[in-house]
Amino acid sequence: MTERESAPKSTGPLRRIPRIHLIALACLLALLLYPVINPWEPYPQGVLLLGFLLAVQASAWNIISGYAGYVSIGHSMFLGLGAYTAGIMAVRWDVNPLLSAPVGGVVATVIAVAIGSVVLRTRGHAFVIITIAMLLAAQIIAVNARGLTLGSDGITLPLPFWGRDYQNIPFYYIFLVMVVLTVAFSAWLRRTKFGAGLVAIREDEGKAASIGVNTTRFKIVAYAASAFPIGVAGSVYAYYLTFINPVGSFAILGSVTIVLACLAGGRGTLYGPVLGAFVVNLVSEAANVYGGGDSARVLLFGLALMVVVLFLPRGLLPTVESWWRRRHPADVEFIDQKGALEARAARSGPDLPSPAVSRAARASDEAGAGRVLLEVRGASKRFGGLRAVDGADLTVRQGTITGLIGPNGSGKTTLFNLVTGGMTADAGEIWFDGRRIDRLRPWVRGHLGLGRTYQVTRLFKDMTVQENVVAPQPDARWRTMVAGAVRGHEAERARELLDIVGLARFADEPAGSLSFGQQKLVELAQVLMLEPKLILLDEPAGGVNPSMLGVLTGVIRELNAAGMTFLIVEHNIPLVLELCDPIVVFSRGRPIAEGPPGTIREDPAVMDAYLGEDFRLEPAGPAGPPAGEGVR
Amino acid sequence: MLTLTSVVAGYGGGMVLRGVDLHCAEGTITCVVGPNGAGKSTVLRVISGLLRCGEGEITMDGEPIGDRTPDEILRRGIAQVPQSRALFPTMSVHENVLMGGYLIRKDRALLRERLDMVRERVPIVAERARDHAGNLSGGQRRMVEIARCLMLDPKIILLDEPSLGLDPHSLAGVAGLIGDLHRSGTTVLLVEQNVRLGLGLATHGVVMEGGKVRMAGPAASIRDDPEIAALYLGGAPGTAPPPLPGGTAAPSDSQKGGAWTIGSRRPSHTGDRASPPMG
Repeated sequence: MTERESAPKSTGPLRRIPRIHLIALACLLALLLYPVINPWEPYPQGVLLLGFLLAVQASAWNIISGYAGYVSIGHSMFLGLGAYTAGIMAVRWDVNPLLSAPVGGVVATVIAVAIGSVVLRTRGHAFVIITIAMLLAAQIIAVNARGLTLGSDGITLPLPFWGRDYQNIPFYYIFLVMVVLTVAFSAWLRRTKFGAGLVAIREDEGKAASIGVNTTRFKIVAYAASAFPIGVAGSVYAYYLTFINPVGSFAILGSVTIVLACLAGGRGTLYGPVLGAFVVNLVSEAANVYGGGDSARVLLFGLALMVVVLFLPRGLLPTVESWWRRRHPADVEFIDQKGALEARAARSGPDLPSPAVSRAARASDEAGAGRVLLEVRGASKRFGGLRAVDGADLTVRQGTITGLIGPNGSGKTTLFNLVTGGMTADAGEIWFDGRRIDRLRPWVRGHLGLGRTYQVTRLFKDMTVQENVVAPQPDARWRTMVAGAVRGHEAERARELLDIVGLARFADEPAGSLSFGQQKLVELAQVLMLEPKLILLDEPAGGVNPSMLGVLTGVIRELNAAGMTFLIVEHNIPLVLELCDPIVVFSRGRPIAEGPPGTIREDPAVMDAYLGEDFRLEPAGPAGPPAGEGVR
Repeated sequence: MLTLTSVVAGYGGGMVLRGVDLHCAEGTITCVVGPNGAGKSTVLRVISGLLRCGEGEITMDGEPIGDRTPDEILRRGIAQVPQSRALFPTMSVHENVLMGGYLIRKDRALLRERLDMVRERVPIVAERARDHAGNLSGGQRRMVEIARCLMLDPKIILLDEPSLGLDPHSLAGVAGLIGDLHRSGTTVLLVEQNVRLGLGLATHGVVMEGGKVRMAGPAASIRDDPEIAALYLGGAPGTAPPPLPGGTAAPSDSQKGGAWTIGSRRPSHTGDRASPPMG
């Protein structure tokens, strides 16, 4: 029922342009026409022009601090760098201002890469502090490097080369074009795998690393990308001002204004920073004119920041959006369980889309099944006094579905973390596909073909289901990074993978709105995007409806038949006995038994540690395992 | 005791519950089953006040609670154990359990009494008292989560997938705990994907699909409905989706008392001792 209603909406050939783009286009037209209609009013043009400048900065800031979530409070440094680049080049070499603008952007980018590659290797708050420190350092350098910057005296730039009659109208259009370009750049970024990776970093950096996102590289590139437009704008702005000095160019108030604009408009959204920039700019101008000058402006900024944080924590645009959505609720999609089961029954044999398994298939061709793919040698991990993993050995052979069972707290999930790089082992070695991996970064292990899912799903809840599946980076190539996440080859593959787990209909829903069991299936599709050779599944059946378990095991079997190897932690013992061979039993941080399902079921040590004495209760047939009863 | 009448509710995107009618009588265990995303967890969230009820009415002992805040609802004796990640990971197990008694923090004697009761019922609370909750395994966390909600001695406990991530021992422990609660007069409403376990424990069953209640009645009648079994319970004669080796596709009645129904297994740490009445 819901399927029929919603199908034309999502797949119709005439994709409607979203309302918000139409509104933005109308605003742009109005701003383009304004100087033509009203050419003799320099004051409102000047106010708008400063609004454009702030919009460029806020949109650019949004790339590192909105998308990737790394807040920079020193971003006006790049404006100053751009301005000084233009100023120095004009004074020393008499360079044409139009040439120096891109150079200003390049200088800002180079400095950003230099700072970023030092600071952004770590996670967390160090970045915020360093950005402020860098802004202040830049000011001090500009004051003291008199030979280059003329110190506190500042640099006076030549007047623009156009006639006085044009007033500031050329600047007006230059800045307006820069707003359009910056927003377009930001929109393009957000629609690539790179953009999806940035949002992934914001939402869960550890998980992002485990799906092959080179978080260090992503953050540095994002920081550089956010510096470039501001650098260019700074060069143009220097010409507009015709005079620059260190205190004005590297002002902390400028940075605060950028942050405020973004927070007010909606951090992490496309148009929010632009909207916020205009609001903040108008308010600050009003404070200047009616409130009694600069000091009133600072006071007002403080108050405005408080109001935004208290009443609009998500910003104007997201608030309006959610209000709109409440007024116009969409139909909620539900799993068509009957349909899914019937479709499954109708399908016969493995018909998985080839890209899903290509690398695994290649791997199994190269060296036949049976060779050791993953080997853990004597791995240990302690938490305080607790030995979670205690000198464990584990071997997973190519082409198997290896089961890993054991009581709660026996170290199974910790072992997974050691293998995929979420934690480092205190001792021991881990070898994967002939390489020692225990000192490699998590994303490198992902690129080698190691993927995992989590016991408690760790999807990026604010991203759509499709973005979640597109986000993984199967290799370290730059080309993969800039591949489209909404359309194109990668997006196509993501939809195929969603089809496999029967959730294609949910592609455009935010992942957080899905139920737990659905999220589990999305996470499986997500890890398949890595083209893994070995998948570590942490309780894949937990929380999945029992009738859908057949679909799940079917998918696992098909992928396995196509060459993919699995290591599965699961408490649904009948499912494990049915699906896995061999089975490894863990207890107190190390394996206590290993073998085919039949042996494991009979092993007295296993009984004692895990299954419980009364497990040996056999059904009527002597050889059969306890049937369906336990298959949840 | 607890009644939902044509409840409509949803998150930002749209309405997940589209007119839910549900009734829990005093002293029963009601188990909600259904496909993933049918709105089962949402029902629990609406009852506990974490999600605003859009339309319809929720009453507890005849009093409407649909527009109350979560803490008011908690005071009325409705406690929820969420699906996952509900413990404070950097606090110790003991502190986590104490947080469950936040509403009664002023009554030291009662707090101590409840704490002793919880320690006795859920041994891990005493065994791992000083460990960070973040260092516990999935199953151990589950036990602590339930223990924490017992601190308020609730009239109704809402359990969202208590079996999630539990090994057979812990599963039996949790199931035994739910049985104990039932015997001591607590009403239980649980959502469970381990439907055999859930419906095995429950006195009443509810099948949800597409944001509505499709069927409700005694647990046994739901278990035995062939169409429901095929669609949501993971197999019935002829249609069992997960084929098992040996060709036995469906559980026969004789196997129901077998290894995987929890009622028949009582591990040592839960014991057979009669539990004291709570509170």
